[in-house]
Amino acid sequence: MKVLRDLFRDYRFCFSFGVLVIILILAFLSNFSPYDPTLWNVVPKDTKPSVQYPLGTDSNGQDIFWQATYAVRNSLIISLIAASVSRVIAVLVGMVAGYTRGNTDRILMFVSDGLLVIPLFLILVMLAMMVRQHMSLVVLGLMLSAFGWAWDARVIRSVILSLREREFTQTAILSGTGTLKLVLNEYMPFAMPLVFSTLINNISWAIGLEMTLALLGLVDVNIPTLGTMLNWAIIYQSMFLGRWNWVLTPVVISVLMFIALYWLSVSISEYLDPRTRIQRVGAQ
Amino acid sequence: MEADKKTLSRREFLQGAALAATAMVASACAAPTPEVKEVEVTRIVEVAGTPVVEQVVVTATPPPVVKEEAPAVLGAFPRSETLIARQLTGRVGTPDNMNLWVGWKWQDRGLQNLADEPLWSVDFATGNIINGLADGDPTYNADFTECTVPLREGVAWNDGEPFTAADVVFTVETLMQFDGFGAHTFFVDNVASVTAVDDYTVKFVLNQPNSRFHTTFLDRWGCTRIMPKHIFEKEADPVQFTFNPYVGCGPYKLHSFDPQGFWTAWERREDWDKSPTGIMYGQPQPKYIILQGFDTEGAQILAQLTHQLDVAELSSDGLKALLAQSKTSRAYQPTFPFVVNNDPCITGILFNTARPPFDNVDVRWALILSIEMVEYMSIAVDCTGTVSAIHVPHLGPYPRLYHEPMQDWLKSFTIDVGDGETFAPYDPDVPNRVAAYARSRGYVFPDTPEFLEKAFGLGWYKYAPDIAEKLLVKNGFSKNADGKWLLPDGSPWKISYLCGTILTNHDARNAAAAVQQWKKFGIDAQVLSIADNDGIQATGDFDISGNWPSQEPWGAGPDLYRVLDRWNSAYKKPLGERTNGIYSRWSSDEMDAIIKELRETDPFDTEAVVAVGTKGLQEAVKNMPGVPTYGYIGFVGWDEYYWTNWPGSENAYCQPYTHWPNFKYFTPFLKATGA
Amino acid sequence: MPFLKRYLIPRLIAYVLVIWLGITIVFLIPRLTPNDPVMAMIGMMRARGSTLEPGAMDGIIADLTEMYGLQGSWLDQYWAFWGRLFRADFGVSFFNFPTRVNQLIATALPWTLGLLLTTTAISWISGNILGGLAGYFARKGWSRTLDAVAMVVRPQPYYIFAFALLLLLAWVVRWFPVTGGSSLGALPTFTWGYIKDVLWHSFLPALSLSVLGGAVTFQTMKLIVQNVNAESFVQYAKLGGVTEGRIVGKYVIRNALLPQVTGLALGLGQIFSGALITEIVFSYPGLGMLLYNSVIRADYNLIMGITMLSIVGITTAILVVDLTYPLFDPRVRYY
Repeated sequence: MKVLRDLFRDYRFCFSFGVLVIILILAFLSNFSPYDPTLWNVVPKDTKPSVQYPLGTDSNGQDIFWQATYAVRNSLIISLIAASVSRVIAVLVGMVAGYTRGNTDRILMFVSDGLLVIPLFLILVMLAMMVRQHMSLVVLGLMLSAFGWAWDARVIRSVILSLREREFTQTAILSGTGTLKLVLNEYMPFAMPLVFSTLINNISWAIGLEMTLALLGLVDVNIPTLGTMLNWAIIYQSMFLGRWNWVLTPVVISVLMFIALYWLSVSISEYLDPRTRIQRVGAQ
Repeated sequence: MEADKKTLSRREFLQGAALAATAMVASACAAPTPEVKEVEVTRIVEVAGTPVVEQVVVTATPPPVVKEEAPAVLGAFPRSETLIARQLTGRVGTPDNMNLWVGWKWQDRGLQNLADEPLWSVDFATGNIINGLADGDPTYNADFTECTVPLREGVAWNDGEPFTAADVVFTVETLMQFDGFGAHTFFVDNVASVTAVDDYTVKFVLNQPNSRFHTTFLDRWGCTRIMPKHIFEKEADPVQFTFNPYVGCGPYKLHSFDPQGFWTAWERREDWDKSPTGIMYGQPQPKYIILQGFDTEGAQILAQLTHQLDVAELSSDGLKALLAQSKTSRAYQPTFPFVVNNDPCITGILFNTARPPFDNVDVRWALILSIEMVEYMSIAVDCTGTVSAIHVPHLGPYPRLYHEPMQDWLKSFTIDVGDGETFAPYDPDVPNRVAAYARSRGYVFPDTPEFLEKAFGLGWYKYAPDIAEKLLVKNGFSKNADGKWLLPDGSPWKISYLCGTILTNHDARNAAAAVQQWKKFGIDAQVLSIADNDGIQATGDFDISGNWPSQEPWGAGPDLYRVLDRWNSAYKKPLGERTNGIYSRWSSDEMDAIIKELRETDPFDTEAVVAVGTKGLQEAVKNMPGVPTYGYIGFVGWDEYYWTNWPGSENAYCQPYTHWPNFKYFTPFLKATGA
Repeated sequence: MPFLKRYLIPRLIAYVLVIWLGITIVFLIPRLTPNDPVMAMIGMMRARGSTLEPGAMDGIIADLTEMYGLQGSWLDQYWAFWGRLFRADFGVSFFNFPTRVNQLIATALPWTLGLLLTTTAISWISGNILGGLAGYFARKGWSRTLDAVAMVVRPQPYYIFAFALLLLLAWVVRWFPVTGGSSLGALPTFTWGYIKDVLWHSFLPALSLSVLGGAVTFQTMKLIVQNVNAESFVQYAKLGGVTEGRIVGKYVIRNALLPQVTGLALGLGQIFSGALITEIVFSYPGLGMLLYNSVIRADYNLIMGITMLSIVGITTAILVVDLTYPLFDPRVRYY
């Protein structure tokens, strides 16, 4: 608990923790929604926020607040699957490639480059066309994760490459530290800030990509996610018709979510790195 | 020329129309100030809590009160003499290639709607045929193996060369010679020879009897156009020829175009009186017309709000947004329902009758009877569409020729529910209920029977879920404990309703509405939206789709050959192969017989044609291979800052779309506001 | 030299192999999808309302197949494709028949290159400079403000950000045009008038891309610099009396640049995929819409043409970065 107390000293951590708790509560609330998210015309259309409909209703005849709970839940599922699976792959590949160099490095980079050079968009669209009927949240998440690791693996590899040449590496090897211990204990702290920032990048990238796919009509638009909610709002010209409660809901939620995640990662990685932890406490 | 009574009356009407048009133009010259149309509208006003109905005169075309600073968008074009319209088909992929006879060339960028005159075109608002390069109807010999077409005199191509029968002969012979042309196969199959009898008459000798051969030259959004012989004969490979600039007999010629394909600019030709448009209607008013493609609806709305666009075609909500924000824009109709409701297609639900359980007519009727039409219309189009119970839309001459005469038959039509019970599904009260719901949404519109019929239709089918249940149970379906339907083999009944990815198109609107209804009924239905799904539908890999439930007729003419022929069993291919007929893959011996009968009926004998057509429509209703719901509605917004006197519903002298070929026919009637 | 033999040559071989692999994948995948170009063309013509007589359908399909060069097995098409490739000829586009793919790409490429090169450069340079300074002076007020601004800007969904800019600057205040890469009636000429027109039209798309891209670069750089700052050699330098400017410029930023350079290279390589959403929102010409339409329409030749550019662009960018790593970080060795 000392850890938590130390973390809470950072105002950024407090803010992000709070926001994320609210988001998780929202996602959890979706279980209690009185309306089926895939049914339309269940409530009067286009009403302003009121006691009965806290955020108003949209042009499909659904309650915006309860739609938002489902949207948050589904977007979280997609992006968490995408980001975590791709992080794991990126770290593994980047570290192994950066450390071992030689042939393993070349083969791994060959594969990662192969994935990087093909315009991602092309593959996604074609995959979406092939998969169409089975497009669920998990499938979409996995599809996105397969393309999210190549870039970051290279970045991590570049960090490892330069760390490899530093004196402490030679020292550790000479004093008999095993490869695994070396990589985990010595390199990880350098890589952690990068891993966290790329995790954030990746979550926002996943949400952004899901939004782009929703805009182009490649995801199932009847499943509420932040992207499809935004897409519906745009299609119904809610900005011109002054229905700001509809358009702004997914935008504000995703912005808050991102800020929260970013500050979370920054404060945690600062805490983990002993030198910056000291900095925070004020020894600078 | 030998002509029977019916053809003469059409020509008389056209002559009368031309006279009236000339009179209009003449009177317009006398009154230079822009017209302000006034419309009487019923309005409900609350006076101290109690509603009071009053008749109010509202201006349907508000004059520009505040002279806003419209930005100088155009370099070479004087804005007050230029009309900017939206190009429906979007950005042009091949801007410098205008060879319409090969592949797809974005014909509404000005090619079909400004620069080209076909032999005939049709005004779908009235169903009347308009003579373009032809000078009357074609005549066939007794067994329909020869077709003679009279051509108009005094017409010149826009580079000055006179138009003669030699151009028509050259066109057909060239199409038959090179197989890169889209129309090649059709002409090779049908035409034995084509000759110019004299400078203004062409005679076709056909390989086999074809009473509708001439319709390949009838423009209702595409037809076989006439090539200028003096240009094409110089080309060794006319298929690769880019035909830039386009030379046609229409009143406009090409001015310039954007190499990126965003806009095409046309200029009125000086000898406009040598084009059929000019001969019939007078001088086109806009000196320049620009057709511009937009990638998003938001951009269109913004452009119109800043007066950089005069004609926008939007979605339902786009139109609402435009009218809410713009002081000078108007819709086709001055009041609710605002929409253009005379486009001659009927939208609805298309069953894949080759895939069980949709091969069972009882199942199809059960699905129809489980639809509550008021809710359906509310979800699909917010009650702005006109319903139709038969497979032609409720517009133009159809109510008079088909809908009203068929009312008695429809009311007495029954389906067999089982155990000797029958049920009459037709409900003439549906339009009234839709109107009542629209009023409850706050829309205000007249209460007259004529208006209600035109806006909402004459009737549709009842909401009878209990009968639907009986029909299903009769065929082995059952319900499980959760109230969800199971197929006769016990597995849960899932329906995938296929539509495109543009969610404001009517296939997606019908999909959304139908799926909602069926979900409530207890079927696990879902919308499956796939981009560019024509191939999937053609090979029959779908349950239900939002495609046209019946083929659209030739621009609302009384002859339904085009509608019925698509159900011809000759075009049906097995599942997995691309079928050439309608995608529902339904046919019947009775329908084949009706089609054959219609083929042998003289297309210009309206009474006979309507009689056979009615039989065909009855057969379609009995079997419902596709379900007609509402007529296609378009959402046109006109900005009256620079141009006025649009062909709105209160002044419908012409069909209203700028992407249809008839656009050139209303350019002489537009009035510049002088802004 | 060991460098050549042990690193450079294998690296170049890998370069060629990756390009070959990418091309083959892009050749195969469109043909594996259920979308077929002949059917797509017919479907599109029907959807746009063209009259296609049902009796003539079979003939039309056969004619189209022959025109597109799709008879024969995949292997035949594959060999034919490579044959054409060595003559730098990508064939004819199906969707825009009979325009050649090269011509289509040549018309769209300058717009994409112009816009994306400029915005990538602007966002990278400004993002890194500001990020570096902000990271070094992390405790200063202006640094925190900038961070907060970037924080709010960065997570905006691009479509909303771009459209909001459009609404604000083209409608609320009429400073910029609503659509297009150039004005109506403007034809490409090398006159100052035309160039000014293009710049005026490109301002909003460029602004939206630069701001969002710059915000990302800013935050990443700030983070990295903050870490480098904590290294002991920086403390040494301060204690040793090196001027602040020199520390920041020569020591801190140079060290932080390596991952950023990788990012720049990849970003430059991805230019050839175009900026689809930008083109949609601003009706701006470029490769994005061309690629999207070609994928939807199963226009094999056009897909190959554009992705070829993209593949070559990215692999070359990666190659350049790999070869120049030692310049940035002398500790990196390849032998």
